[in-house]
Amino acid sequence: MTREVFIAHVEREQEALRGFLLALCCGKKDDADDLAQDALVKAYLSSAGYQDKGKFRSWLFKIAYNTFLNHKASLRCTESIDEARALVSSTKADAEFEHQDLYLALRTLAPKERSSITLFYLNGYNIKEIATITDTSEDAVKKQLSRGRDKLKEKLKL
Amino acid sequence: MMKDKALEDLFLAQKPHFSDNAEFMAALTKRLDAVEYLKQHQEATIRRYKMLMVAAFVVGVISGAISIAYVLSTPVDVPLFTLHVETDILLWLVENSRLITATGLSLLLTFGIVSIISNVQDILRMRVCLKASGTVAQE
Repeated sequence: MTREVFIAHVEREQEALRGFLLALCCGKKDDADDLAQDALVKAYLSSAGYQDKGKFRSWLFKIAYNTFLNHKASLRCTESIDEARALVSSTKADAEFEHQDLYLALRTLAPKERSSITLFYLNGYNIKEIATITDTSEDAVKKQLSRGRDKLKEKLKL
Repeated sequence: MMKDKALEDLFLAQKPHFSDNAEFMAALTKRLDAVEYLKQHQEATIRRYKMLMVAAFVVGVISGAISIAYVLSTPVDVPLFTLHVETDILLWLVENSRLITATGLSLLLTFGIVSIISNVQDILRMRVCLKASGTVAQE
């Protein structure tokens, strides 16, 4: 894949990718954009081996998901919900997005549950596709979705 | 698995729309330029490394061949080197000069071959790293 083709694909998919990472980062826009940039550079470096089968977005999401997991693993301590609330409310995302409660509720989920829930509800992927992107079994995805949905409904009082 | 309607509506309602797409793409282009620069630099380093290795290999083969030819061309009953000191050890060295020289040359050639193999492996590893950095699999 040439650089021009890669950039053309990215221009088409970047908004979906950033939205996915924004949900994974619980509304922290700067973090999400940094991860998106890292993921896109990784994708560019491995684009020589990419075979275009019309699944560029899934391929990109898989790289973004792995980048997110690596980023999470590199963080030594986790912040409390209160700290998260303070962080989220101080970011630019607060002004742009009304549904901060959803981001705060997403923060209570484990990263894998959060990813599955986001891919399922925000990006519209089915279980098989989510299993491919997250490199897990379909049964594991179903469990993550079920647990994640219950937790979210409880937190959001739906 | 069925979607939960309330959750789906909530997610769809919060679907973000970014107003800074142009800035994001400009930042990405800058990063890709930097990546290209580094890639070119790494490729140039590999090329230089390769040239040096080929030169070392050629010099090693030629000098090894000349040394062996010299050893073979000297008369068998004349020592290859003489030490004008008469102690037991030095005399032993002079008597076995041909064997010692042949062993030394063999060791040098073996060392040369091992270092060439090691260099080839390094180059292959560098290439794999270059290709695989940023691969889909979790690094």
